Amino acid sequence: MASLMSTPFTLSTSEHLSSVSQKQTFLHSFLPRRQQQPNAGGGRESLRVRCAAVGNGLFTQTKPEVRRIVPPPDQSWGLPRVKVVYVVLEAQYQSSLSAAVRALNADGRYASFEVVGYLVEELRDQETYATFCRDLEDTNVFIGSLIFVEELALKVKAAVEKERDRMDAVLVFPSMPEVMRLNKLGSFSMSQLGQSKSPFFQLFKRKKQSAGFAESMLKLVRTLPKVLKYLPSDKAQDARLYILSLQFWLGGSPENLQNFLKMIVGAYVPALRGTRVDYDDPVLFLDSGIWHPLAPTMYDDVKEYLNWYGTRRDAGGKLKDPNAPVIGLILQRSHIVTGDDGHYVAVIMELEARGAKVIPIFSGGLDFSGPAERYLIDPITKKPFVHAVVSLTGFALVGGPARQDHPRAIEALRKLDVPYIVALPLVFQTTEEWLNSTLGLHPIQVALQVALPELDGGMEPIVFSGRKAHALHKRVEQLCTRAIRWAELRRKTKEEKKVAITVFSFPPDKGNVGTAAYLNVFASIYSVLEDLKAEGYNVEGLPETAEALVEDVIHDKEAQFSSPNLNVAYKMSVREYQSLTPYAAALEDSWGKPPGNLNSDGENLLVYGKQYGNVFIGVQPTFGYEGDPMRLLFSKSASPHHGFAAYYSFVEKVFGADAVLHFGTHGSLEFMPGKQVGMSDACYPDSLIGNIPNIYYYAANNPSEATIAKRRSYANTISYLTPPAENAGLYKGLKQLAELISSYQSLKDTGRGPQIVSSIISTARQCNLDKDVELPEEGAELKPAERDLVVGRVYSKIMEIESRLLPCGLHVIGEPPSAMEAVATLVNIAALDRPEDGIYSLPGILADTVGRDIEDVYRGNDRGILNDVELLREITEVSRGAITAFVDRTTNKKGQVVDVAEKLGSVLGFGQTEPWVQYLSKTKFIRADREKLRTLFEFLGECLKLVVADNELGSLKQALEGKYVVPGPGGDPIRNPKVLPTGKNIHALDPQAIPTAAALQSAKVVVDRLLERQKADNGGKYPETVALVLWGTDNIKTYGESLAQVLWMLGVRPVADTFGRVNRVEPVSLEELGRPRIDVVVNCSGVFRDLFINQMNLLDSAVKLVAELDEPEEQNYVRKHALAQAAELGTTVREAATRVFSNASGSYSSNVNLAVENSSWNDEKQLQDMYLSRKSFAFDCDAPGAGMTEKRKVFEMALATADATFQNLDSSEISLTDVSHYFDSDPTNLVGSLRKDGKKPGAYIADTTTANAQVRTLAETVRLDARTKLLNPKWYEGMMSSGYEGVREIEKRLTNTVGWSATSGQVDNWVYEEANETFIKDEQMLKRLLDTNPNSFRKLVQTFLEASGRGYWDTSEENLDRLRQLYAEVEDKIEGIDR
Amino acid sequence: MATTSLQSLHHRLLHQKHHHCHRSSTASFPIPDSSLFLKPAPGSRQKLFSSLSSSSSPSSSLTTPSPVAPSTSSAADADSPSLELLAQYLSDGDFRQADEVTRRLLIVLAGEASQKRGYIFFSEVQFIPTEELQAVDRLWLEHSGGRFGYSAQRRAWEKVRRDFTRFFIRVGWMKKLDTEVEQYNYRSFPEEFIWQLEGTPEGHLPLTNALRGTQLLCSILTHPAFENAGEAAEVPSTAGEDRASDDLNSRERPMPMGTRKLFKSDYSF
Repeated sequence: MASLMSTPFTLSTSEHLSSVSQKQTFLHSFLPRRQQQPNAGGGRESLRVRCAAVGNGLFTQTKPEVRRIVPPPDQSWGLPRVKVVYVVLEAQYQSSLSAAVRALNADGRYASFEVVGYLVEELRDQETYATFCRDLEDTNVFIGSLIFVEELALKVKAAVEKERDRMDAVLVFPSMPEVMRLNKLGSFSMSQLGQSKSPFFQLFKRKKQSAGFAESMLKLVRTLPKVLKYLPSDKAQDARLYILSLQFWLGGSPENLQNFLKMIVGAYVPALRGTRVDYDDPVLFLDSGIWHPLAPTMYDDVKEYLNWYGTRRDAGGKLKDPNAPVIGLILQRSHIVTGDDGHYVAVIMELEARGAKVIPIFSGGLDFSGPAERYLIDPITKKPFVHAVVSLTGFALVGGPARQDHPRAIEALRKLDVPYIVALPLVFQTTEEWLNSTLGLHPIQVALQVALPELDGGMEPIVFSGRKAHALHKRVEQLCTRAIRWAELRRKTKEEKKVAITVFSFPPDKGNVGTAAYLNVFASIYSVLEDLKAEGYNVEGLPETAEALVEDVIHDKEAQFSSPNLNVAYKMSVREYQSLTPYAAALEDSWGKPPGNLNSDGENLLVYGKQYGNVFIGVQPTFGYEGDPMRLLFSKSASPHHGFAAYYSFVEKVFGADAVLHFGTHGSLEFMPGKQVGMSDACYPDSLIGNIPNIYYYAANNPSEATIAKRRSYANTISYLTPPAENAGLYKGLKQLAELISSYQSLKDTGRGPQIVSSIISTARQCNLDKDVELPEEGAELKPAERDLVVGRVYSKIMEIESRLLPCGLHVIGEPPSAMEAVATLVNIAALDRPEDGIYSLPGILADTVGRDIEDVYRGNDRGILNDVELLREITEVSRGAITAFVDRTTNKKGQVVDVAEKLGSVLGFGQTEPWVQYLSKTKFIRADREKLRTLFEFLGECLKLVVADNELGSLKQALEGKYVVPGPGGDPIRNPKVLPTGKNIHALDPQAIPTAAALQSAKVVVDRLLERQKADNGGKYPETVALVLWGTDNIKTYGESLAQVLWMLGVRPVADTFGRVNRVEPVSLEELGRPRIDVVVNCSGVFRDLFINQMNLLDSAVKLVAELDEPEEQNYVRKHALAQAAELGTTVREAATRVFSNASGSYSSNVNLAVENSSWNDEKQLQDMYLSRKSFAFDCDAPGAGMTEKRKVFEMALATADATFQNLDSSEISLTDVSHYFDSDPTNLVGSLRKDGKKPGAYIADTTTANAQVRTLAETVRLDARTKLLNPKWYEGMMSSGYEGVREIEKRLTNTVGWSATSGQVDNWVYEEANETFIKDEQMLKRLLDTNPNSFRKLVQTFLEASGRGYWDTSEENLDRLRQLYAEVEDKIEGIDR
Repeated sequence: MATTSLQSLHHRLLHQKHHHCHRSSTASFPIPDSSLFLKPAPGSRQKLFSSLSSSSSPSSSLTTPSPVAPSTSSAADADSPSLELLAQYLSDGDFRQADEVTRRLLIVLAGEASQKRGYIFFSEVQFIPTEELQAVDRLWLEHSGGRFGYSAQRRAWEKVRRDFTRFFIRVGWMKKLDTEVEQYNYRSFPEEFIWQLEGTPEGHLPLTNALRGTQLLCSILTHPAFENAGEAAEVPSTAGEDRASDDLNSRERPMPMGTRKLFKSDYSF
């Protein structure tokens, strides 16, 4: 039963590795010259992948029996027997309550007690639940506390409800209302909870502004007893006893609990009626105060505490030092009063032993913001007494597990203004269960104690203690050293502070040093360093320009010629490496003995980078297996290589960094193997980061990966703005087309119409629009209406391209956007209705003026109705004009937005003609609703202020000075302007809050359009199965739209609990659905898995629910397929209904991206093998504790039924070819190979980046992307203006395009041909690329050759010859032969 | 009941009790060379030999409590920790009890505050008299051929460059888990520890609880008493090192902590 079941399996080399085992030098066949194949070290690694799961598949297998106390037999004589059953969240009451009961039994006066306690999580186990129900059958008193997990709350409710009438007393302390309603104490009951008007129950109303009912209830406890005491009626007496009970309970000590039990049994157990049971009043502890294990008392005055502290006889010299760092600790009173405080004592001892003073504060309630302000801030100077604060509660600062109030928490923390760490004890799992789990922390604990504290700006979710308060010594050490390091940042002077700046290099190539999403890394570093220098940091020897900085870092100055090596900052001998890196030996399994051949010269480990004074700029090593197909397939168990470890050892122990600054989005540190959340000593991200404070610039639009960095590498993530989007505009043939269409509109009735139409048709062909728009044969006779339709369709396509948003260029930290850039962003912000704020979209307002509904206009436009296309164009143009006119007023001569507030004040003041009104008066939209416009523009004004606010540098400096960085959501500034201003500590969202009702609404639209589209392409038949991808960021930005899409395909809807948390679904009837339930194969990204494991659970339970519905197969494809699969596999339908897949825990992506980026793959089959071997890990809601379990067979069977593949695009900055993730997770070709009929599935992309959501085919989207980015002069010139990084961006788009060819085959030949025209055939362009970043240019040439070699690009021999020749030339240049 | 035990704790020194052992042999026991150990510390002598009304031992609390109130009962049946008692258990080869007595003894030695609290705060270790700490260690060394005792632990600790995890593994206080990556968990007390000499890792006993981290153990290991322990320890094996051990996984900890006032029983430190 309790045994650990492990399922080792070995991947058969012969079956799965066929294509891998071939020679790895396949690539050479289309390269003109031998290229060194990066071969990663030892080569061999264990192919064994093992999944360990606890016996019952749940997160804990502990049993309540350890909490059962039976009265000794010799004591039963004569005494009435009382049975008490309790259910609690945490184990901290166990010892105290057991002690109380033992004492009562030993006393033997009134009754003999049997008591048994359940941890709420244990009730998941069926057997334990059955025992629970049996226990209740003869229970006199039931006690529950902190039951906040809905599904378990419902189980408790169901079980207790049955026995409630029979039981003598039911006491439920702060919990979900469903459970609270069970309360029964004589005439006192809470069954009216939520309905009654009585002030008592009003406390429990939703929508309470403050920390919610739990806190209100505690307040009540403090005030009410005094009142109740004097109330006469029985009812009041019962209510009084309830309040007293709560006081006893919160008092928690064995004495209090003894008296509590005496009071309850004396008053309510019938056998004791008539017996006078004396009990003492509750011993009350301070509500909040300061506690220290050595102190003679609790303090509620910080001065008194500090006085005592100063007189400690035991304190050593370090602690007496007035300059010692001071750490504030936040504790739960319940642990202190119940004596369950070993973990608190451990942290206090560890900190003091390391020379830090402590101020440990506690609260009996769930709101710690008051105590934090009261005890940690000097009331007179308003300065904090502490240099850092560590919460050991794991809870959000305000609200605990119930309803949180983040704004209040943030307000308190801002006043404190020190780093704020939230560490946590294990609650649901035993230490061993946690250690065994590849998931790490229990998902519910992740939601409550990791995700929610992040919304307060909490950092470093370090698990420091097991259940029952036993400290995990190494974790405590990690927590305390890190807390002190943060505190040191506040104490040290700027001159002495050492900062390591880490840049990335993806894929490992010199041309890629300093990769980051939309960030000009070196220009930004330069700008940061100049600023730090001005502030007094020592940046000695900083070169004159950013370009010189790049040169310093990427060239090995010692090499005679410009060598392929980066500048070596430090050579670390193997001996030094081993002594500085305690975990070095563990890396040998994967990489052999150090130094290995990565970041190594064969004798030493090499750290690349450059030091200027107290600043070191280093290049983060890469995973190291990018070029090795074997490792790409099985890198699950790979560790960081020696060079990687040496880098971090250098930073921490040789350079001695006070902080490391990771510069820009998506490094490899946080993706190293280890638990998902809640690292242990054996997790690499935790070991690597060691005790260095980590500050991480992260793209504001990528909250999901930022969250991984936050949780796995303990980063304070500071958001930066992606460059504001601009409209793609038109160029070359597309521009010509636009002109032709314009003349058609003015001349179509003059008789020249047919002639212009035929020009339009031929130009459209030249522009390769024939695949997107149905074009008649040239010279075909067309009726006027038909001509209009053709022109309308082309026009609509052109406008789609023209108005597509794209960020041009790269962002530089500290440079606010220009006015024109802000315009495009504002136009898009203005295009969305925000009904919750009473804001109407500008296009909607304008359409209204001419008597149209904007949704109709969108639909007409999509169908190519010329008038609608034209109207939409006008609306778009006028929107831009009106907003430009508005922004104009707030802009200075240099075109920068300045002084927004003041200018806006005058703009919005009375007696002025509003600029937008002025502008509109010259258009046909003159009659637009003034009031709506005013509301909208006031909102836009606020947004504008935020867009141009520049907090990025400021926040970084705050972090470096050990101050609090205000948290904020990450996401899309257009959907959610709260993302702005940047420079915030980015967080995700409460994972249990999604999908929202609004998200479900939008999801329905997209699903309907998708199904419509697929039906149209598939002979009128619904797809039986859709294979789709769920992304973390996507779901954060849209509050779960794609998650809701899956639910809607299945025909279920999410059901929220009292707190608005979604943990349940219910089926929508087939009648309401009006179509069959569509089967799904859900591929969750590794990041989604980490952030939303609860939602994977929700999806899996939805799939299983639907599969088990008693419905006809033709109306329920899930059931249809599950039945067939169950029959074939010999399993139950429930088991066969497995559709929610992802990577194994601690592993990310299919690695297809790495293979493509590094050209380290042989054939498509091999990529598909990678995908299958890495992505076929399923989540099972029936055994959630087992984590991700390999279920490749079901995965393949499910994929084989897919008629369509589908992904979502959620924001304009990140489209198909901008990143490698999209093709990395695309299974289109794979499905084709798995389907028995070999049919290629339809492939679709939903685009919800604009108000008019679209579902396009993948091929259409790839074309659109190529037209607006890679081939668009506006885009590539924007990139080129960023220099070095710009060339890489261009190369990256081409490489990603090859990726799409490889995984989906949906790239047209002309895309490559045009790209070749643009970048190779244009001699001037070629020269610019070559000169600016020869390494990236070489990769560009190589990628062209590869596209041709792999058969994705059919072109002339002449083109290929030229490329081969160029390749040789650029190699020479790089190796310095021509210098 | 509650008050009684509290009182008795306050007045531990005055509270003389007969040694009340479950085991027949304890009624009178010869302590070989006991005077030798005690000679250096006349002041503390009293402490060592005076008995302490203490709480129940973890083992007794594991089972159903005796008919009397648990606090008093445990106080009644617990033996006052003393060097004699330790020597007795050790010479009987009862390492389980010897370990228990050692732990309680150290708490007594650390002073009144530690006793009230029920465990030693790391910074109180400095108050433990050097000679007595050495005496305790010497007894362990003597009865284990130099394999047990703080000296043996100190040696092991130095060998792993003072890394506590590696130390715990080395002395057998942590066990390897059957997971993909190499991981260790604390052993649970008392059943997973080895209460004998044969086949037991050096330094396995006496235990020091890691429930509150490693600073206590660290303080014992770096106690000034042990800096020149080389001369003091005339025991087989190498001298000069002293170590306290520690460990134990509170998950399975048998004794509820209770408020320390009521339940002194938790003598883990």
